[in-house]
Amino acid sequence: MKPLASSLRARQLSGYTCSSCTRQLRRQRRNYGTSSPRSPEVFDVVCVGGGPAGLSLLAALRANPITSFLKIALIESQSLTPLRSYAPSPTAYSNRCSSLTPNSVRFLKDIGAWEHVRAERVQGYGRMRIWDGVSGASIGFESESSGDGEEGVVAYMNENLNLTSALVKRVDGLGGVEVLDEQKVQDIKLGEDTEEGDFSSWPVVRTSEGKEVAARLLVGADGANSPVRTFSGIESRGWDYGRVGVVATLKMEGSGWGGEGAKIAYQRFLPTGPVACLPLPGDFSTLVWSTTPELANRLKGMSQGNFVSMVNAAFRLSPVDLSYLHDLKGGQADEVAWRVQHTPFEPEQVPMKVTSVQEGTIASFPLKLRHADTYIGERIALVGDAAHTTHPLAGQGLNQGQGDVESLARSITYSIEHGMDIGTRMSLESYNSERCTSYGAA
Amino acid sequence: MAMATPPLRPTSLRNLNLLLRTAPRFVQNQFRAQSTTSSKSSVNPTEVSHFNALASTWWDPQGSSRLLHLMNPLRHDFIRSCHAAQARPPPTSGLRYLDIGCGGGIFAESAARLSSTGLVTAIDPSPEVLAVAKMHARRDPRLSGKLTYLNTSIEGLSKPKSAEEQYDILSLFEVIEHITHPAEFLDVCKDFVKPGGWIVMSTIARTWMSWFTTKLVAEDIVGIVPRGTHDWEQYVNEQELRAYFLEGRGWNSPRVMGVIYVPGLGWKEVSGSENVGNYFFAIRKDE
Repeated sequence: MKPLASSLRARQLSGYTCSSCTRQLRRQRRNYGTSSPRSPEVFDVVCVGGGPAGLSLLAALRANPITSFLKIALIESQSLTPLRSYAPSPTAYSNRCSSLTPNSVRFLKDIGAWEHVRAERVQGYGRMRIWDGVSGASIGFESESSGDGEEGVVAYMNENLNLTSALVKRVDGLGGVEVLDEQKVQDIKLGEDTEEGDFSSWPVVRTSEGKEVAARLLVGADGANSPVRTFSGIESRGWDYGRVGVVATLKMEGSGWGGEGAKIAYQRFLPTGPVACLPLPGDFSTLVWSTTPELANRLKGMSQGNFVSMVNAAFRLSPVDLSYLHDLKGGQADEVAWRVQHTPFEPEQVPMKVTSVQEGTIASFPLKLRHADTYIGERIALVGDAAHTTHPLAGQGLNQGQGDVESLARSITYSIEHGMDIGTRMSLESYNSERCTSYGAA
Repeated sequence: MAMATPPLRPTSLRNLNLLLRTAPRFVQNQFRAQSTTSSKSSVNPTEVSHFNALASTWWDPQGSSRLLHLMNPLRHDFIRSCHAAQARPPPTSGLRYLDIGCGGGIFAESAARLSSTGLVTAIDPSPEVLAVAKMHARRDPRLSGKLTYLNTSIEGLSKPKSAEEQYDILSLFEVIEHITHPAEFLDVCKDFVKPGGWIVMSTIARTWMSWFTTKLVAEDIVGIVPRGTHDWEQYVNEQELRAYFLEGRGWNSPRVMGVIYVPGLGWKEVSGSENVGNYFFAIRKDE
């Protein structure tokens, strides 16, 4: 049919049919327009960010029979393909590791993700030795034999990649998530009042690929600079510590003073910030050294040999020695070797000697403390770093994110069981009071 | 706060009500009949205009209906406990709800969202409130087709002709205390319930404690509920409901759950509190 004829027909018809029928006709004609890319696809949950927090939320919602009917989309700027084909070398470890508490591991087991984690790359430890570099005062943590987790484990060291790849496997296995990876959030706006419904309270996310999705609940798992938080006008307050974290994967001269079965974590407080050596499987450890940006740059600029010596010095020599070593243009290795001979310390109270640093693993990132004023808005929930970032000192960042996700998934489940719209502020209130308020108290 | 000013009931009318409490019933009936424009309807016109004025704040979670929003999950818990008490569990899908006095649709919407629900018919005599309910339901596309709002009283609904047209759950949440002649009203309701179905309601006991909490504290002192929301004279006690349903035949398994609002904690079930203030009541039609 020619377009002219069809429009003519509609106009002719309108003269003979009642107004409700022509309205019907017009609506039908307009409905053809909904196949255009302008009309957003409607989802119950749209999660922005495919990091540990976002992926855990998807796994939690998909694994639970009460929430598994929800229509879910994930928007992630990176490709998920490398995570799916994760095949790490057994003799190398990533420099981005996190310490997982037994409670986080219990949650990851609950949502069926832990079994996909490569267990041979996870290192539990039962002791933590913490001491002050100036006074030498020390405290020690040992695990309580609580019901959950393995006996005698304070925490588990794990590469972030090992966790996220396990979560992607779990989410893939559960299915039912529309994955929009390699797509950035272009903008977020409120929807419109259309014939299909009033979406004026629904956030609509447009991706860099031009895809538009309307969200009953938009979850910001999109990190410290969260676009979702910006859209919802939630303030995030805090400060920069003026410190950066230097990380590296270290090879030690052995598997530790307690042997493979009794690994120990070490943390020493220096005037510039804490330095930590956390055990990985075998002879490997991971370093987190928080220090000033200037000293971090010098550390990163050193030869591998000098860097290794500086790490050994950080756990053994006095702050005065360290300060002198930092200022040297080079030759730290010889200098440390000489000074260590003349410094009294108990070898078994500090980490074993570092023998080398894994190629390409020395890196740094700025340390910030941020806390969002609230974790919720109308049809908005923030989880993980979007809600809070913290000093890696206590290794709590990732665990707090897992705690957020468990709480949010619980509040979504409760809302569904009680017929509430999962996106409304009313439904999200319990999540906010459980997490945001408790964080403030802590 | 953008709260609409509720119309105050004239003091003279309130005082009249107080006086009438002690008057013989036939005198009371004369006065009460005058205040009802249509003798065919259970609806009290003073109540309708009051709730019309509340319409704009119905869905504001921080507004005057906050207590109702907070109470809503308990309604589902209570209905679940009724179903759990049945020897034969109800079907897991296709349940039919009739929500009378649905207001802005807090319960009706939530019932329609449950996976076990087939349909919800929700009625309210206040056109303004119902317009709010309809407008709000458009915010959730999943409700369309499952939830129907009708601007009518129960008397205006056509009587079901078969069990298929009857309802599994007939709900009267915070309604009975706003009805002038509860017994006549309940007589009409009974026919809409399927054999084996439930009438589920929540209301407030008529005690000095409830006068103190709902009239004096909630309306006058704290102002959490707009003044004029409650007419303490119309409160119904649990024993009266129980006696009403069990005096004739055809109803069994009365259930009751007393709830108390604890500031900072929300609504909590407190056994025995049905004799003091807010309570849920349910009764099952014989199969």
